[in-house]
Amino acid sequence: MQTPISRRRFLERSAQLALAGSAAGSFLAACGNTTTSSSSTKTTITFWNAYNVTDPENQTLLTKVIPAFQQKYPNIVVKSQNIPYNSLLQKLIATVAGGAGPDVVRSDIIWMPQLAKIGALVPTDDIVAQRKSEFYPGPLATCAYKGKYYGLPLDTNTRVMFYGKKLLSEVGASQPPTTTEEFQALSAKISALNKNFYGYAEGGLDAWNILPWIWSFGGAVTNDDYTAATGYINSPQSVAALEYLVNLYKTRALAPNLLGGSSYSPDDEFGKGHVGFILEGPWEPPTLQQTYSSLQYAMALVPAGPGGSSISVVGGEDIAVMSSSKNIDAATTFMQFMTSEAAQVPLGEVGQMPVLTSLTNDSRMPAYFSAFAQQLQTAKPRPVTPNYTKIDTILTNAFNLAFRGQASAQAALNSAAQQIDPLLSA
Amino acid sequence: MEISSLDRSHAGTRIERRYGQKVRAFRRYLPVYLFILPGMALFGLWTLYPLLDAFVMSFFNWNPNPVAQSPFVGLQNYLEAFSDPVFWQAFRNVVFYTAVTVAGQIILGLAVALLLNRKLFALGFFRVLYYLPVVTSWVVVSLVFAFLFSSSDGPVDWFLGDVLHLIPDTQSWLGSTTLALPTLMILGIWKGIGWNMVIFLAGLQSIPNELYEAARVDGANRWTLFHAITLPLLRPTITFAVVILTMGGFGSFIPMFVLTQGGPLHSTETLLTYAFSNAFSSFDFGYAAAITYIFAFVVFLLALIQIRLMRRKIEY
Amino acid sequence: MYATLETAKARSKQGLSPWMIVGRVLLYLVLMAGALIMLSPFAYMLSMSFNPNGYTLPSPGDVIPAHPTLNNYISAWTDANFGQAFFNSVIVACSATALTVLLSASLAFAFARYDFPGRNILFYGMLATMTVPGIVLIIPQFVLASRLGLVNNRLGLILVYAAGMAFGVYMLRGFFEEIPQELFDAAAIDGSGIFRTFWSIALPLARPALAAVIIFSFAANWEEFTWAIVSTNDSSLYTLPVAIQQYYSAHGPAWGVIFAGSVLAMLPEVLVFLIFQRHFISGIRAGGVRG
Repeated sequence: MQTPISRRRFLERSAQLALAGSAAGSFLAACGNTTTSSSSTKTTITFWNAYNVTDPENQTLLTKVIPAFQQKYPNIVVKSQNIPYNSLLQKLIATVAGGAGPDVVRSDIIWMPQLAKIGALVPTDDIVAQRKSEFYPGPLATCAYKGKYYGLPLDTNTRVMFYGKKLLSEVGASQPPTTTEEFQALSAKISALNKNFYGYAEGGLDAWNILPWIWSFGGAVTNDDYTAATGYINSPQSVAALEYLVNLYKTRALAPNLLGGSSYSPDDEFGKGHVGFILEGPWEPPTLQQTYSSLQYAMALVPAGPGGSSISVVGGEDIAVMSSSKNIDAATTFMQFMTSEAAQVPLGEVGQMPVLTSLTNDSRMPAYFSAFAQQLQTAKPRPVTPNYTKIDTILTNAFNLAFRGQASAQAALNSAAQQIDPLLSA
Repeated sequence: MEISSLDRSHAGTRIERRYGQKVRAFRRYLPVYLFILPGMALFGLWTLYPLLDAFVMSFFNWNPNPVAQSPFVGLQNYLEAFSDPVFWQAFRNVVFYTAVTVAGQIILGLAVALLLNRKLFALGFFRVLYYLPVVTSWVVVSLVFAFLFSSSDGPVDWFLGDVLHLIPDTQSWLGSTTLALPTLMILGIWKGIGWNMVIFLAGLQSIPNELYEAARVDGANRWTLFHAITLPLLRPTITFAVVILTMGGFGSFIPMFVLTQGGPLHSTETLLTYAFSNAFSSFDFGYAAAITYIFAFVVFLLALIQIRLMRRKIEY
Repeated sequence: MYATLETAKARSKQGLSPWMIVGRVLLYLVLMAGALIMLSPFAYMLSMSFNPNGYTLPSPGDVIPAHPTLNNYISAWTDANFGQAFFNSVIVACSATALTVLLSASLAFAFARYDFPGRNILFYGMLATMTVPGIVLIIPQFVLASRLGLVNNRLGLILVYAAGMAFGVYMLRGFFEEIPQELFDAAAIDGSGIFRTFWSIALPLARPALAAVIIFSFAANWEEFTWAIVSTNDSSLYTLPVAIQQYYSAHGPAWGVIFAGSVLAMLPEVLVFLIFQRHFISGIRAGGVRG
């Protein structure tokens, strides 16, 4: 039916196609980017972080810190890549699986054990042995996993209570609340002022949002060495804290947005003077200055629960070299630079609290750091375990059940304890 | 060298003959094989290899780090899936979502197609209008719906609450465990109506007019025409649509990923969002692979069943 | 009964009866109402994109903004880098579509007109994989793509998107089967092999069916999100869907900028549809809907 194609024609044709294909391929590849290049003199390393392009920290990073680094080490070029926080962990994992990825990453402290466990990070025992005394012990502890250290602390933070002075005076308070009782009373009064006003607003129902209250009531998530949750997350104090918050929500003292599905932004509403109290971190004052400069506000310790004391949650980031990096030495050099005063000071000036003990009470740091430093003295970290992301989901689900009235606080936390226990032995 | 196929008398034993024929066929079709090689190579590399790889992955406690150890766990991932309440919730969600969106799209798409199936003045205009959501990316329409159903100041909330007073103030949609999935269903139906309309218009236009004329002469009314002629003759089109839409519905991912991440409380979790989060948040790649394989098996089975139904012939 | 039908027919030949006019008007009303409901999300999208306050409308009832502004569009194009993303999307979608059309047409042609050993296995095997959504394979695909250097660059995206040719093969095979043999016999006499026959005879004949494949393929490639977001880390390489979603993830409900970007994202897809839609319907009927 069909005559065989002549050999010569076929060879001609396939040569044409191959040439066209490779030409197209190299054209397109040239249009694309590669992340690392290695010429004989210059090394390029990629640095992933979760800053937004317009954040003051990002601006400082790009205009002050990285140029300073490149002045000191002209042979290393640093490419900073902004990845939104919600995608960062996913992308790190994808790169571990695929073998491509950043050389250095600014990672949330809660991801460190998880990343260390799968061998994604380069150990830093030798560096820590030399520099241990330079770092605050709390942040340094977030780099530890099973007796070894990975990465170095980069910045630390906690949440303190921001209060709007105008709203407080409108309800007749001259001092910010120091106990949860006072907090509740004032929040209720502020919410009553106006249909759109709320005493207190939170961004969600994650551990980050709720744990300060649980700890301040004297509750806990687990025991001190992170091996058991039963008896801690469902202790009477923890339950009392959750019930307290649910009560705030039901009486409209707490804004309903935290259940999700809303565009309501607690920080913006606070800036506009519609919300009396928010719990926020050291990045907030520069942001408030930028957008809501006329707001009169101040900071204080988070309220203490009945029979408890003011305990907030430790946050922060570590900086680590990925084990898949092809330029581990250059990356380590950058990591060391970022944890030196040359980088910690300029970033500190825009709200990134430094982790170096040498910078305590340094006059170059913003004055408002003192409020956070005070809270940090008693602040607790979230459970340091490789399964933390799963634990966070379990806690969020439990809080959701209680807030939505689908379970009592006690039942929800009992169930959470049951689910968390097996995860702690990993 | 070519042996004509008529020249069988010179062939050897049966086995040799068959082998010889196969080699001849291969040689004769060599250009064809080369012709399809680029396409099949790309397809095979991109689909078959990962398919097998994922299958293998599902039997291990797979560590994403290629350098590290990945212990073999046999069927454990699959057993874990079957005893995981979130897995079953995701399964129920996806079945419920698919059933409602497929039915909704088909009914509404057919309705619009029936309305448009005549010499209308602005037929093309309407066709484009109804098709617009189809040619819009899922990311975009998801975000538009996030805005519309936003609980603090969204238009839907305003319309149903402030205007019609049907619902209480600040009803939460995407933040509600009962309303989040229905909201996504509305999104799914809205996006797909136009596609169904086009498919059904094509199907309707292929029904010969003489059938309708003959039936009208026999005294049939509108409903009988629809019931006895239109529907049966549309059966292949409807089945086609059902198969395609079911596969699409089961594979829903983007709206859930962009808007709710499977929440609140897993009420919008689908099998794929659950697999994704197991892989990329919890690093449980083996478990995620097992979930996707169970999912693929179910979808494949469903498609087979539905295609079987498509084979039935229609007499007229 | 017969008589009424006769008179009705006779009357319709003279012109429109009053019932028919009422019926028509009602029909248009219903269609318009339906279209309005279908389009209201887009109306809000447009409205917010021109709204000076990028976060909320003055009141949800005010669909038309009082003081429209182009600020959101400018922001979207420059600050949010949607302009760069737009170019990335154009390059990737156009190249991938061209490649998909070429590959799927060649496969469909071979499957349709050449009865070679293994044909059915390959074709039905290909169809079988269509039942499984791509996301299912994303993890091993990512590993494979990384090893081949196909992540985080445009060439990788193009090749991956082109690998989704199964639907096109399905649609075009039916079409190629219908072509009368005479058209190919002339070529056979000429001595052209499969490559030549495909290029100079089959492809030109297939234009209407190709139009349908172009629409579907371009739409799929333009909108693709899941693979792009897993494989692209460099924000300068983001395609539009990724850029928009990442912006939302980082900035929250900044609807003004997000919807300005969304309008940009919609335009090319709608344009391609409008250009090719004439062939679109006939292509569907010829190729796909029969099975």
